[in-house]
Formats: sequence, C-alpha cells, structure tokens
Amino acid sequence: MSDVPSIDTMRELAALHGVHPTQEDLEAVQGFLAVLLPAFRELEQLVPPETVPAAMFVPTEEA
Amino acid sequence: MALQGAAGLARALRAGELSPREAVQSYLDRIDRLDGAVRAYVHVRGEEALAEADALAGQAPQGPLWGVPVAIKDVIDVAGTVTTCSSRVLVDAGPATRDAGAVEGLRRAGAIVLGKLNTHEFAYGAMTTSPRFGPSHNPWSLDRIVGGSSGGSGACAGADLAAGTLGTDTAGSIRIPACFNGVTGIRPTTGRVSNRGVFPVSFAFDVVGPIARSAEDCAVLLQACAGHDPEDASTADVPVPDYAALLPQGIAGLRVGVVRSLVDNDLIDERIRATVLGAIEALRGLGAEVRDVEIPLLQHFGAIQQAMQFADATNVHLPWLRERLAAYGDDVRARLLTGLYLPGHVYALGQRGRRVAYEALRGTFRDVDLLVAPTLPILPPRIGETEVDVNGRRLAYRLPIIPYNSPWSLVGVPTMSVPVGLVDGMPVGMAMVGWRFREDVVLRAGHAYQQATDWHERRPDLAAAAKEV
Repeated sequence: MSDVPSIDTMRELAALHGVHPTQEDLEAVQGFLAVLLPAFRELEQLVPPETVPAAMFVPTEEA
Repeated sequence: MALQGAAGLARALRAGELSPREAVQSYLDRIDRLDGAVRAYVHVRGEEALAEADALAGQAPQGPLWGVPVAIKDVIDVAGTVTTCSSRVLVDAGPATRDAGAVEGLRRAGAIVLGKLNTHEFAYGAMTTSPRFGPSHNPWSLDRIVGGSSGGSGACAGADLAAGTLGTDTAGSIRIPACFNGVTGIRPTTGRVSNRGVFPVSFAFDVVGPIARSAEDCAVLLQACAGHDPEDASTADVPVPDYAALLPQGIAGLRVGVVRSLVDNDLIDERIRATVLGAIEALRGLGAEVRDVEIPLLQHFGAIQQAMQFADATNVHLPWLRERLAAYGDDVRARLLTGLYLPGHVYALGQRGRRVAYEALRGTFRDVDLLVAPTLPILPPRIGETEVDVNGRRLAYRLPIIPYNSPWSLVGVPTMSVPVGLVDGMPVGMAMVGWRFREDVVLRAGHAYQQATDWHERRPDLAAAAKEV
C-alpha cells in the first residue's frame, strides 16, 4: 500500500468525487492516513491469501 | 419518587405505588433541576410525555415497561421530533414521521419517551462534544467528557434523568459511555435489534442497545427491542429468549476467559487494572471457572474494522460532503474525508480480515462461555483535552479506544459494560463478552455480579451540579 499522498494529490482525488476540502481538512486526513496505511499494510501480510471474505451478512445463530 | 432503574420502576408502576404521570413528572422535574449542568438532552418532550402518561391512566397495566419513562439517542427516530444527529448538517431537517423499530418496541412494552439525547456528531466519535449543542458533562465530574458516541445516553442514565435509555454502538459507542458514567450498557449481537429509523455509521457494525442502571434494567429494555424486523434486512430471524427469566440462574460453573492481552499492557492505568482484577476475583467467588485466554491477532482487529468502517461512513455521507462540508465538526469531517482515500481493495482486505477475526473468536468461545476485560483502560479526559494521564505519562485518548472496543463489534458479539469500582472518584467498567446471540449469558453474568456488589447503585453527588445551574 502506498505512502500518504501529497496535499495536491488529495485535493485532485477529492475533486473527482465532487468534494472540495480545505488545506486544513487535508492535513487532518493525512494524520489519519499516516496511522491507517501502515496498519493495513501489516494486515495484508497477516491475512492468509485463501481467506474468504466475510461480507455484509445477515447473521444466524451459527454464522 | 425514589431513584430506581427501569425494572424496579416498572414493578412500582404495576403495583400502583405511583402513576405514569407521577413518574414522568418526577423525571421532568429532575431534568429541569439537573440537565442544565449535565446537558444530556437535546430535546425534552415534556407535554407529549405527560399526555401519553395520562392516556395510560385508568388502564390496567399493559406491557413490561408500562409507564416507564425512557430517553433516546438522537440518531434514532422518534415520531414528531427532529433527528438532529447533533449536527449542524441537519439544521433544516423536519420531524420524523415514524418511530424507529427499536422505539416501536419500547412503546409496545408501554414505555413513554421523555426526549432525545446528545450524541457525538452522527455517532461518529467517542467524546459527545457536539458542534451543534455543545458537550454533555459527566455527572461524576462535570469537567470531564461523557464518552461516546452515545454520551447523552450514558450521562442521562448516570444522572438518573430517565429510567432507561437507548444508544447505538458501531465500535464502542454504548460501552464507552456506560463505562465513563458508571452505568450498565449492552451492545447486543449485530442484527439482534432493528436498525430501521436509525441514522447509520456503518451497516456492517451498527446496532441499537440499552444503557441503564443495571443488567436487569438492560434485560427488560433489550427484551422490548430485540427480534426480527421484516422491514429491516439487517436484522436476524433468531428467537429471543426471556432474558429476565434467565437472570437468576447465576454463574456457578460458567467458564470465564480473561483476555490477558487487554489486562497486561502499557495502555492501562494500573489502578483500573487492579480494580478489574478484583471484579474478576468476585466472579470466581460466585462460582465461575476463571482462566486466561489469548486471542490470535486480537491487536489487529481494530484495523480490520476500520478498513470497512471508514468506507461505509463516507459512502453514507458523500452527498453532504459535496454540499455541506463546512457544516461538519472538524473531527467528523476529517474522518469522513479519510474514507475518500481508502481504495476498494482495503475494504476487501477488511472483509477477509473479519473472517480471520471471526474464526479466532469462534475458536476461543469453544473453551469459554464468557470473556472479560477492562471496558477501557483509562479515565475520561477533561472536556477540551485530547490526552489522559496513564501511570504518570500523557496518552492520546483515542489510542486505547479502538483496541478495547473494536474486537467485539468487528465480530458482532454481545458485550456489556458493568461498573466495578471507582478510581479518583470516576467509574471503572468491566466488559463482559458472550458469543453471538448469547445476550442471556452476558446479562446473567452481569446480574450475578450486581447481586453481589453495589457499584451499579453508586450515584454521583449532583447537588453541586444543581447549584451551578
């Protein structure tokens, strides 16, 4: 998984979604991504490749 | 009227010791006297609640919550009131036209809705410092936060401003405020209670549940809400046992696993650790068979939940992110924007990780009936602060929130926080975790503990709070 993107890149990506955050907003997001992305990177190594996703499910007693 | 929880008040009402109007008026008087300091409510249905109480007069008591005043987190619809989600984004929203499924259940049982309770904005955070209504204040120390996101519900129950409340929980939002406000709150199994009429954070993890004084109160309130809702595709069609009837069974022989990694680490306040270990010994004294357990990859469960939760929440809010971005509070706006930058493969990783977490916890529950751990390893920070003192060092409040709460919501298992002591005059909670749809085991264990202790009966001194208003 890639590193935290630059402010300019983040601004462009947000615009693709029709969202226009401020510089302060994007700096705050960078703070979240700096924690999340390494955690997800580690997770990629830990989840065995054959693992079947547990998608959104309506639970049953044993599911 | 003596202060008591939902179950005791229901008994008193059925016995004719007081009328529904007297019960409602008593709470309205208490709200008038104390809520200026606590600020649990964002809307009080005073006249409506009294009229509903009068409508019950002259009838034979009907339903297990007949005439019992309750209050509802303001992400849950109550017909005729605006669901504000404590957000400026919804400042021009109109009133709900129908009760949420869980509220319908409470009303069928005879409850009367006193009003709506403050929440962290859109239930997406753990402080309940709303940009629209301001912070709720912890009844045990008014300068401290109430937790969240169901912080108004926790404070309301803690200050006895209703006989019971409803909150919602995506990643700790019932358990955290129950812990910080010295009351009992249960996150039911995901799918146990209808989410119809509830503003979502994440369809994968959201669930409605009660916060009240005791496990017995939670049992009665949950009974009224639980069950399949044919209008909500996320609810489970699984029979609901008679929780209250099962409470007296006790816990002799119950296999209790202590989640050792949540007891022994550098995040936990040593005084909280000692308090929770004392509560675990009390369970042993009640006949439980206590042993340590280690759950594989537990420390990664929080990241797994976040891989899914960020995308879910951003998906829900995307239209308003385009149109009303500046109306959000700073912290919620940042969380929602973060979801824009997590690609689809992260969500898929989360779904696969959830399978791993499910299998790990399923394996653990083959050997135990109940897990226990500290609900939280810290005391609530002061309002306006984002750090807490832990064993002489400063620690960001957000750090312990995820590892202590997400493991249970990720897999959707029922988890209850029960008060087990005080540290620095602030409540400490212990989490009791059961396997899916075994709320009965969790409630039974909580009740057994509360029959032997009185922490759930301890109340903050609110006389000073009343004087401040």
